[in-house]
Amino acid sequence: MAPTDTYFRHSLKVNDYLCSGCTTCMRICPTAAIRIRGGKAVISDNKCVDCGECLKSCPRKAIYIKQDDFNLIENYGCRVALVPAVFIGQFEEKYKTKDIYACLKKLGFTHIYEVEHSVEFLVDLYKEYMANHPEIRTFISPYCPAVIRLVQVRYPSLVDNIIRLKSPLDVAARAILKKLLDQGIRREAIGIFYVTPCAAKIASVKYPVSNQDTHIAGVINMDFLYNKVKLMLSNSDKDAEAINHTLTPADVLWPLSRGEAANFPGSPYAVDGLQNVIQFLDRLEDDKVDAPGLVELRVCEEGCVGGVLTTQNCFVARKRMENRAKLLARLHHDQQELTYDHTEFSEQIAEQMVIPEIKPRSLYQLDENFGTAFKMAEQMKKIEKELPGINCSACGAPSCAALAEDIVRGDADVNSCIFINRHSEASEAAIRRVWGDCVKSETK
Amino acid sequence: MHYTFTIEQGNFTDAGQASSSVKRTLKQLGVDPANIKRTVVALFEAEINAVAHAYGGTIDVDIDDGKIVMVVADQGPGIPNIDLAMQEGWSTASAKVREMGYGAGMGLPNIKKNTDDLKIDTKIGVGTTLTMTVNLV
Ligand SMILES: Nc1ncnc2c1ncn2[C@@H]1O[C@H](COP(=O)(O)OP(=O)(O)OP(=O)(O)O)[C@@H](O)[C@H]1O
Ligand code: SF4
Ligand SMILES: [Mg+2]
Repeated sequence: MAPTDTYFRHSLKVNDYLCSGCTTCMRICPTAAIRIRGGKAVISDNKCVDCGECLKSCPRKAIYIKQDDFNLIENYGCRVALVPAVFIGQFEEKYKTKDIYACLKKLGFTHIYEVEHSVEFLVDLYKEYMANHPEIRTFISPYCPAVIRLVQVRYPSLVDNIIRLKSPLDVAARAILKKLLDQGIRREAIGIFYVTPCAAKIASVKYPVSNQDTHIAGVINMDFLYNKVKLMLSNSDKDAEAINHTLTPADVLWPLSRGEAANFPGSPYAVDGLQNVIQFLDRLEDDKVDAPGLVELRVCEEGCVGGVLTTQNCFVARKRMENRAKLLARLHHDQQELTYDHTEFSEQIAEQMVIPEIKPRSLYQLDENFGTAFKMAEQMKKIEKELPGINCSACGAPSCAALAEDIVRGDADVNSCIFINRHSEASEAAIRRVWGDCVKSETK
Repeated sequence: MHYTFTIEQGNFTDAGQASSSVKRTLKQLGVDPANIKRTVVALFEAEINAVAHAYGGTIDVDIDDGKIVMVVADQGPGIPNIDLAMQEGWSTASAKVREMGYGAGMGLPNIKKNTDDLKIDTKIGVGTTLTMTVNLV
């Protein structure tokens, strides 16, 4: 495919040196985006939705998430760490939030900003959006970027159900930027860095759906930062300055599954885990489920605590965050100095939060032209009948059906099926294209 | 293009495979989502009726560039009074079927609403054949 045809870009990469082409990731991918070529896994940009299942499944750790060089922060005088609540949930409760933030400051950040600080503001925007679209019955939350991509490629008929507003991350980035600019700091001196729990968030920052600037200078992988902070915490140095708790209990719970839904009336659906989300969307698409109002969908188990770049078991991190929310509720109740300053969220930011368009990008459509697509579908059906139907993946495709599709699309050759024309020269050449030198020559 | 499926009596959990498979094909062809939905809803209702009220049967789907024709044929008790059956809310569904979440008497009216043509051939004690057409253009 020509580079101009690439409309999605991703941060999930394959390390060819470590990859053995074992097919594990290829079989697990929910959008059949992976093929084996030259004995290595290859991810198709247009089909990948950044869910991270391939990375989770890889037995050789050959799939990784490209991150920005940490030293990039040195390029800015004003270095902001945009920290999601899930990051605090990675640490044992004996470590205080302020100690963790103190470590981030020691690592070079000048400001810490908690992402979920923007949640309350955003909930109002979502509610307003829903009220302004009475013709839509079900609203899909735009929070999980992997869900947006999944809907675009697998459920194009549901793209209009996605709330076309940006996420807490975008709101937070804009809010802190405005705050700093208002303090008279030059734009060039401000570098905002987001600590990400997943590949999907990176893609949404680097290659946003709407191609609008996200104001984020770089992304730091959560596991990487966790290791750095964990090391400093154990060498305990307790001159940490207290920070004002700015998050409400509801803010802290937001990234967890059901945490977002709790902010909306009518006990909305909250679905977590990739397979569950797929099943739910399948039913929603066929009107087999009635879901009025907001639906919260997260591809990771238990929500963002299950993100691929987290370091803790999702249930353990969840429990810690729930405890933190309880603590905040108590502090709030005791009238301690909890100041919720929301002055940085303005009408102006609200206007910038609109996503102008989310395009359907059907993964299935064989051709723009019905007649051509029809012929291809017919041929595919014929080829599928010829194939053994055992989904062995030796052809470098995840299933016999996927190979049939690759063949009609011109991306594969029927001879790459090891059951067809066994031992012929054409078949050996085709198999070699898929497996490279893994194949020992029989003819010599 | 022709597709054939079989329907098993009483198997509610597997019902819907035919409509899922047809849905996939229609997506490959780039059929307009509104027409896909109409097709899937009608086929699913007919499939469920053959599971719930009859003893299983077969589904034949023909797709060409102008229309989708779906024939759902069952060996079952037949429908004694079609006019009655077509009424919204009329149902003879057993308690067991109602427990599964069906039996609101909305299936046939829904099929009628979602298709461009509906033909019902039914014979008491022999079976029922539904021929449903969805026009694509
Ligand atoms: N294939 C069939 N064989 C025998 N009787 C049928 C068949 N399909 C429908 N009927 C009869 O027609 C009635 C109405 O069917 P319809 O699909 O409208 O409602 P339902 O199946 O009872 O409930 P729902 O479809 O809302 O779950 C059924 O209760 C049944 O008596
Ligand atoms: S659920 Fe959260 S962590 Fe997982 S992909 Fe979606 S946004 Fe990322
Ligand atoms: Mg029915």
